Amino acid sequence: MTLLQNKIPPATHRGIEEGVLERAAGKRNRRTYLALLIPGLLGLLVSFVFPLAYMIRMSFNKGAPDGVIIETFTLETYIQPLTDPYYWRVTLDTFQMGVTVGVLCVLVSYPVALFLARSTSKYRGLLIAVAIAPLLTSAVVRTYGWMVILGTNGLVNSSLEGMGLITEPLKLTNNMTGVTIGLVEIFMPYAILAMISGFGRLNRQLEEAAGSLGASKFKVFTRVTLPLSLPGLLTAFLLVFVLAISTFITPRLLGGGSVQVLATEIYDQTTGLLNWPFAAALSVILLVLFGVIIAVYQRLTKKIGG
Amino acid sequence: MTETKLSIKDLTKRYAAGLEPAVDRLNMEVEEGHLVALLGPSGCGKTTTLRMVAGLMDPTAGSIMVDGKEITHTPVNKRGMGMVFQSYALFPHMNVEQNVAFGLQMRQTPKSEQKKRVAAALDMVQLGHLGKRQTKELSGGQQQRIALARALVVEPTLLLLDEPLSNLDAKLRETMRSEIRSIQQRTRATTLFVTHDQDEALDMADRIAVMNGGLIEQFGSPTEVYERPRTHFVANFIGQANFLTARVGADTGAAPVGERYYKIDVDGFGQFGAVGVPGLTGSTHELVIRPHRLNVSLHPGVVGPESIAGTIERVSYTGDALAVAVRVGEKSLQAQLLTSSGDLPRAGETAYLSWVAEDAYLLPAPAKGLPE
Repeated sequence: MTLLQNKIPPATHRGIEEGVLERAAGKRNRRTYLALLIPGLLGLLVSFVFPLAYMIRMSFNKGAPDGVIIETFTLETYIQPLTDPYYWRVTLDTFQMGVTVGVLCVLVSYPVALFLARSTSKYRGLLIAVAIAPLLTSAVVRTYGWMVILGTNGLVNSSLEGMGLITEPLKLTNNMTGVTIGLVEIFMPYAILAMISGFGRLNRQLEEAAGSLGASKFKVFTRVTLPLSLPGLLTAFLLVFVLAISTFITPRLLGGGSVQVLATEIYDQTTGLLNWPFAAALSVILLVLFGVIIAVYQRLTKKIGG
Repeated sequence: MTETKLSIKDLTKRYAAGLEPAVDRLNMEVEEGHLVALLGPSGCGKTTTLRMVAGLMDPTAGSIMVDGKEITHTPVNKRGMGMVFQSYALFPHMNVEQNVAFGLQMRQTPKSEQKKRVAAALDMVQLGHLGKRQTKELSGGQQQRIALARALVVEPTLLLLDEPLSNLDAKLRETMRSEIRSIQQRTRATTLFVTHDQDEALDMADRIAVMNGGLIEQFGSPTEVYERPRTHFVANFIGQANFLTARVGADTGAAPVGERYYKIDVDGFGQFGAVGVPGLTGSTHELVIRPHRLNVSLHPGVVGPESIAGTIERVSYTGDALAVAVRVGEKSLQAQLLTSSGDLPRAGETAYLSWVAEDAYLLPAPAKGLPE
């Protein structure tokens, strides 16, 4: 009796059985996860993948006057923008605007984000909320705000004139300067949020350690703070760049029709000229631009060892 | 003659006006080459003290001197100290060698010398082969050693360790304890070590500063703070202790190290012997007896003429030792015995407790709130 009770199945058998059971459980789990993914995937399929595929297909059609779309398969829609210097100009301007807005936005947001990320104040949550509060107002409203501030008789010009610093109003709207100023401010909350979440490896103790090893405040910043916040800076830049080159409201309103970027061009082609195939082709070019910058971003983040 | 390396005078830190100070007029002198442990419960001000010495925090008042020079307001990067943080704080964007070389780079040490010293520092912590590794590939113990090498490579005026072992598992902690101690003794680096672990402090330190509520309760060698605690807090915090209230009677002669033997009256249980500083006769003091110094017998008279009878409440057997809780009146006294193959005491039995005078220490300050 006791002998039988003490008999334990050989360890190897038990191990195998457990392994099999675990694997079976793993398979079941994986199936559950997949099932849970289905609603989201379906949503994406309907709202993103299908329209995208449709748009790409559209770009190979031919547009005729009065919005007539000729179903065909041609590269004609691409040949025009790629051969016409005007569209090269627009594409280049778009890219340049994205980079300028990205760089400026990151520069002005960095100190704010650094402060918020390092703050141990009990008001930190409130301060972060204040920093991103502008998101509560639509970009359209804020753009109109900037038009008022930057206009010929706006706050900036009348102040400068009042102080006697200028005699003629500065041209701050209806050009790229105005668009850039507006976009930088509008995208600051996004940049700040992206940076705060990207500062993961930065912590106070690392800066203290550098200080205790003899690094001056400047050296602490260049050798520790900046390198460790670089991933956050890059993410913020990428985000702002992508937002900047795809936005059309601010360039249209603050640019006053004299700033042509891909987004405004696409808008004109779609709603004004009703040339959908051409608008689709420009959209694909914009997508390629995204792709290029994302590839560069990934190379960079790998390099700085994210 | 040993030199004073670090001298702290009336150091005070108040985080905000109106708050109790975190560190309250703290005075301490550390000898060259010593390892001093700042020991205390969390919130006792030990880390605040260390951070003020490091220059990471400004004191509200008081002064800090190193080698006779006032450094109270010297910025952190001009103090030349080496600090090991609780989280090690290794730079994640640099490899092991770059981490260790950082302090030398800041001092603009020539490249060739940097290389030599980094290699020597890594050899000292036995990680010479890991120089090219990324820090995140290292185990906790290895990261700890790199942090130590990084702090020591600059030949710091003071080595400051902020709970360096608290993130390691128990086994590794023991190993690192003796390793840190032996490296410290080889380099003769004067070291300030913050810990809340009394075993760590007793094992590693030349001197222990037992802190409580922003004050140093006692500053002395490990044996002093264990055998001759100055206050109830120290006796209670370091090791286990039984406390009895004793009326001190006649001085019965000289004990070693300038102390005196006394006849004492314990809560009406009779006359016993104890030791204490001179001049205690006539007042009431707390008596401290360590559990393993308390004799337990199941028969009266075996362990001496005077004993306290009590009932055994609980016996816990751990193989080598036997912990016995004995209820005496209102109190429960802890005793620790080495086990023998003979009869073991059992719960419910009557036990007789006694001690030799040398093992019962009267706290120097009169017991407060007790009838004289």
